[in-house]
Amino acid sequence: MQGPDIAWYLAVAAFLFATGALGVLLRRSPLIVLLSLEIMLNGGNLALIAFSRLHGESSGQIFALAVMAVAAAEVVVGLGLIVAIAQRKLDLDVDKLSFLRG
Amino acid sequence: MIIAAWICLVTPLAAALLLTLLGNSASRRAAGYIATTAVFGSFIAAVVVFAKLWSEAPADRSHASTAWEWLTAGSFHVGLRILVDPLSVFMMLVVSGIGFLIVAYSIGYMDGENEERRYFAYMALFVFSMLLLVQAGNLVILLAGWGLVGLSSYLLIGFWHDRPPAVAAAKKAFIMNAIGDATMALAFFLLIQDGQSLNFPDMFAVGPGHGWLVNLVALGLLGGAVAKSAQIPLQTWLPDAMEGPTPVSALIHAATMVTAGVYLIVRTHAVFEQAPRVLELAAGLGAATLLMAALIALVQTDIKKVIAYSTMSQIGYMFVAAGLGAYGNAMFHLMTHAFFKALLFLAAGLVIHALAGEQDIRKMGGVGRVMPFTRTAFLIGSLALVGVPPFAGFFSKDEIIAAALSRGWYGDILFAVALIGAFLTGVYAFRLYLIVFPGKPSPFVEEHVHEHSHEGPFSMTSTVAVLTVLSVIGGLIQFEPLWGPVSSWLDPVAPPLAVPSSTQDALASLFAVLLGLAGIGVAWMIYGAKRWHVPTLAFSRRLLEHKFYFDEAYNFAFYRPAVALAKGLDRWFEKPVIGGSIKEIASGFREAGLDTSRIQTGLVRTYALVIAASLAVITIVFVAVR
Repeated sequence: MQGPDIAWYLAVAAFLFATGALGVLLRRSPLIVLLSLEIMLNGGNLALIAFSRLHGESSGQIFALAVMAVAAAEVVVGLGLIVAIAQRKLDLDVDKLSFLRG
Repeated sequence: MIIAAWICLVTPLAAALLLTLLGNSASRRAAGYIATTAVFGSFIAAVVVFAKLWSEAPADRSHASTAWEWLTAGSFHVGLRILVDPLSVFMMLVVSGIGFLIVAYSIGYMDGENEERRYFAYMALFVFSMLLLVQAGNLVILLAGWGLVGLSSYLLIGFWHDRPPAVAAAKKAFIMNAIGDATMALAFFLLIQDGQSLNFPDMFAVGPGHGWLVNLVALGLLGGAVAKSAQIPLQTWLPDAMEGPTPVSALIHAATMVTAGVYLIVRTHAVFEQAPRVLELAAGLGAATLLMAALIALVQTDIKKVIAYSTMSQIGYMFVAAGLGAYGNAMFHLMTHAFFKALLFLAAGLVIHALAGEQDIRKMGGVGRVMPFTRTAFLIGSLALVGVPPFAGFFSKDEIIAAALSRGWYGDILFAVALIGAFLTGVYAFRLYLIVFPGKPSPFVEEHVHEHSHEGPFSMTSTVAVLTVLSVIGGLIQFEPLWGPVSSWLDPVAPPLAVPSSTQDALASLFAVLLGLAGIGVAWMIYGAKRWHVPTLAFSRRLLEHKFYFDEAYNFAFYRPAVALAKGLDRWFEKPVIGGSIKEIASGFREAGLDTSRIQTGLVRTYALVIAASLAVITIVFVAVR
């Protein structure tokens, strides 16, 4: 096993995940929220790959690839939504987009 | 022979199914021809069965056939079983023969009617039901036919479903019959519980100490017979049933349905004979009905209703005969009655047809001038009904009256009632005839009928002609005590309890004919020569016009309490308890939903926070527990 200890990887992954989560929770612009989501996903990916290396198995890496594909799809949908919101001249603010409240 | 019997049974059913499946792809005419051909085929098959049975020794004339096991419950089995014996063949001939004539008549009568195809499908179904009833080899199949007869009469009485009175009459007939069906079913349950066989020839041997049982069973059967044959106290549906088309009335009154009660008593005579009190009750009800119906017929103003009451009255005679144990006489009168009653109804149908559907005899008069053929037919039918020799009714009715004379003091009372009935029959039958046919045509008739207009299409006049001939010669089949093929044919199945001597026969004939003629004379004096006035007995007139207040009494005794009970339940139970609880449950869910919906803030960040927080909690718990 080369490179740093697994804990370091996990620490970086947790840091990335927490940063993303805070971004999702605190920022109001949908664009930034999407961006933060990507950071969360990459945090998760890092953990997956780190474990994959630790166990000498490839399934974690395949998982990470799948997550990337999903992330790409999600970005397409999310950016599409943002474009649609902008076209309707609505405020780009997730707190104001609350038409579905009960 | 059994095959012929099955063919006789299923041909009308096949026609009914065929007409239903063909729908509009059969022309209206074709529908009539299909039904007529099927019922005629049935009749031919019945004749074949009769001929075969005739060629056998009297003791062997009973054949049963089971198609398949129909019902099984533990050790209790009921097969789809038919029985061919002299009694069922007799009924098969009457039902399919008269049924054929009436269905053929309908081709002309219903021509141009909307929904002719439906009509003919129902008619075929009616004939099938009645054939199932009379051919049934056990009581359960008989009850199936019994119920089907009730159903098809319901469908046909309510045939003109856009007329509210017709629909009401159909419902009334069905409900009244359902009462009888229920008592019959209860009787069967008692029999089954007692372990009795429900099959016909081997019915019914009760052990000692079962007297109450046999009485209950007989009462239950009598209830069914009384309902189907429109005897007191379940008679009120029959006059209302005149709302159906005229051939339907003819079919109900002559060939099918109302005769079923008489048939049932004769068929299950073994049960009744073990409950002699119930048998006497049947005779008493018959006597009461024959008198009451004859009285009501005196004041009716609807041509069909007069004939309807005469049916009730004549069925009353048959009940008297069956109740006295003169089974052969009851069946013989059933047959001659089928001839002349079908004739009267179909002739009345010709009149109604010519007068554009008018049935009120007060508007009629002098119809005979323009419809001489119908007049002759109706006159012969009336004479047969009154029992004037040599017409059909004379032979059969007098035998019943003679049978009454041979049965002790109870018989003597029935004898007197039957004679009064014979007198009244003369009065009401000829009141009807004299009002409608002779004399100068009334303005209403002038308006609708012309000298040169024909009396009806061939299908109608020819069937009336056949029935006229039957009403003239039909009674000559049997003239007791000189010759009695009907009695000797039926006696092996139902040995008679009452055999009048020839003196009694002669005496009964003499009285009955004289009184019948006297009745005709009275009718002539009032309505023909107009020498006498119609007696104005206001009270009794009102009593008769209200049919002895039976409808009103039932209304008061059953309908109103039922409605009151329903209203009370609606007010005190339905609305507060059932309606209230359902309302509470619904509003509870609604409130809960409104409360919970507040969680849905619509703020995406809140959702994310909740997800993150709960994830954190789950993780902490997971770690802590481990």
